Amino acid sequence: MLNLIRNEWMKLWHKKATWIMVALLLFILIGIGGIMKFVQSTLDQPENQPSWEENEAENKAFLTAELANPNIDDTTKKQLEKELAISEYRIEKDLEPMDPSGREQSILDSHFMLSLVVLLSVIAAAGIVASEFSQGTIKMLLSRPVKRWKILTSKYLTTLLFALMLTMISFVASLIAGYLFYDPSGGAILDYRNGAVVEVSYWGRVLALYALQFVGIIVYLTFAFMIGSVFRSSSLAIGLSIFLLFVGPSIVLFLSKYEFVKYILFTHTDLTGYISGNTFVPGLTWPLSLVVLTIYMLLFLVISFWSFTKRDVTA
Amino acid sequence: MEQQPIVELKGLSKTIGKKKIIDNLNLQLFPGQITGFLGPNGAGKTTTIRMMAGLMKPSSGEVIVEGQTLTDHFEETMSKVGVIVENPEMYKYMSGWKNLLHFARMNKSITKERITEVVDQVGMQNRIHEKVSSYSLGMRQRLGLAQALLHRPKFLILDEPTNGLDPAGIREFRTYLRKIAVEDGVSVFVSSHLLTEIELMCDRIAIIQNGQLIDIREMNQKEEAHYYIEAQPVEQTRELLVGLGLTVAESGHGFIVKVEQDQIPAIIQSMVTANLQIFAVQPFRKTLEDQFLEMTGGGQIAESHKK
Repeated sequence: MLNLIRNEWMKLWHKKATWIMVALLLFILIGIGGIMKFVQSTLDQPENQPSWEENEAENKAFLTAELANPNIDDTTKKQLEKELAISEYRIEKDLEPMDPSGREQSILDSHFMLSLVVLLSVIAAAGIVASEFSQGTIKMLLSRPVKRWKILTSKYLTTLLFALMLTMISFVASLIAGYLFYDPSGGAILDYRNGAVVEVSYWGRVLALYALQFVGIIVYLTFAFMIGSVFRSSSLAIGLSIFLLFVGPSIVLFLSKYEFVKYILFTHTDLTGYISGNTFVPGLTWPLSLVVLTIYMLLFLVISFWSFTKRDVTA
Repeated sequence: MEQQPIVELKGLSKTIGKKKIIDNLNLQLFPGQITGFLGPNGAGKTTTIRMMAGLMKPSSGEVIVEGQTLTDHFEETMSKVGVIVENPEMYKYMSGWKNLLHFARMNKSITKERITEVVDQVGMQNRIHEKVSSYSLGMRQRLGLAQALLHRPKFLILDEPTNGLDPAGIREFRTYLRKIAVEDGVSVFVSSHLLTEIELMCDRIAIIQNGQLIDIREMNQKEEAHYYIEAQPVEQTRELLVGLGLTVAESGHGFIVKVEQDQIPAIIQSMVTANLQIFAVQPFRKTLEDQFLEMTGGGQIAESHKK
């Protein structure tokens, strides 16, 4: 199996497209940091900016007023109470929030840029099986003393490895951009857990966001992998996956009135909502998300393996 | 030649949709023997070869390699088989060497030395580190042969192997196949459209038409002797030959006569005596092409079912 993965890895990196993807990723990630910095520097800074303490006091007052409103529903109430608790804690312990234009915040936000990695991993996953068919090399590949499921497994693991590598590259690139273009600002992240406000470790939060985004990457990648191995066409797989990537959230929004939206894949592809507190659809829970994602992933993989091992090669 | 066959096709059939593409094929292939596989377009050659190479699953019947079926013992059987299916499509963006390394890793224990050895055997040592996209078709064929030989297969399947080789290359290829068949006892199964090629290369040919094996024959089989006789006047010649009790068929200006060699002097003697003007008396050998066309009933393509 190790040899098979080495083979796939070798083929992947001998394609020019792969190098172009990595170069593009680096260029965009570091470039965007530079552009943002440039845009910020051209904006006029208002003279008398209120201090964070003043802002926070204002926020607290606003939250208290909102809570006094008798018409709010239970979920909103809970959310507001949570925010109020955090706000009070911040003022009480004198914990400065992060400067939105500081280094820490920029690195924290960089997980959004992983949608680029989704795009690139989808391209790789879509092509890894389909390209063997379009090049005609599939005949050479499958007339070897290696069972087909092993070959497909090696291809799937290789795409996962590739996605992981791209994720790490983006992380490092975002760090570089953060240190190059932004000044450190300090600040503390607060969270509300089990009825108490806690301070969250900064790097822990960054890693958690990256890890949750990576789950989304794997889901889209697996989908593209399935389409690529079933239809043996990489353009179809890339097109369809990217289409769903863009349309998915709108579908969820559109169907959010109905109960079954909870069982749609796209409701669960962005798990970072659990950290930021803004889940797409109210009433989602971790176990539900994990079960739904697992079922869809298993379905995708079963279809891929079934199609790849059972069907004749006629290309 | 009462040997154990290396490969045996037993009742091999393939149905796609409602169409029977291969119908109950039975064939044995022996070590050291080169077997040609002939058939008109669409007769089922490629399908048969793909079933033997593990790319297609038979609807019924078995491919058996040294007593083990391909379906139940895929890895063991395939490690004894080398395959070139149609044009050897390689990873064009990698060097020839990397391609071979890639395929070597898919077998157990093929050393770098073995790869070098095979590269030398096919005469690719000077260009092996260049990208395959810069290779000519002939070089790709050589690389294709190299990948099929890496694991020292006991059985070699070749689909249209000389496609794209120049005459010198074809000859070299033929000699090479003969060599591995004789020296290493490899059994070779070659499909080709080039009948003359098959004729020169093979010990035995199997002919397939409409999915059925219609003939298997040894190439060194003693054929019935025929002679071509041309003499004037034509009518008198015919009368004379028929008078001698021979089967006569008109061909061009003369006749094809079924006759043994030792009768020829007597025939010439009687023709001279009859004052015929003799232009030609020569052995006539039906080419494989003639035989093939005779057997498969001309050039019509079997009902299309490809793709």
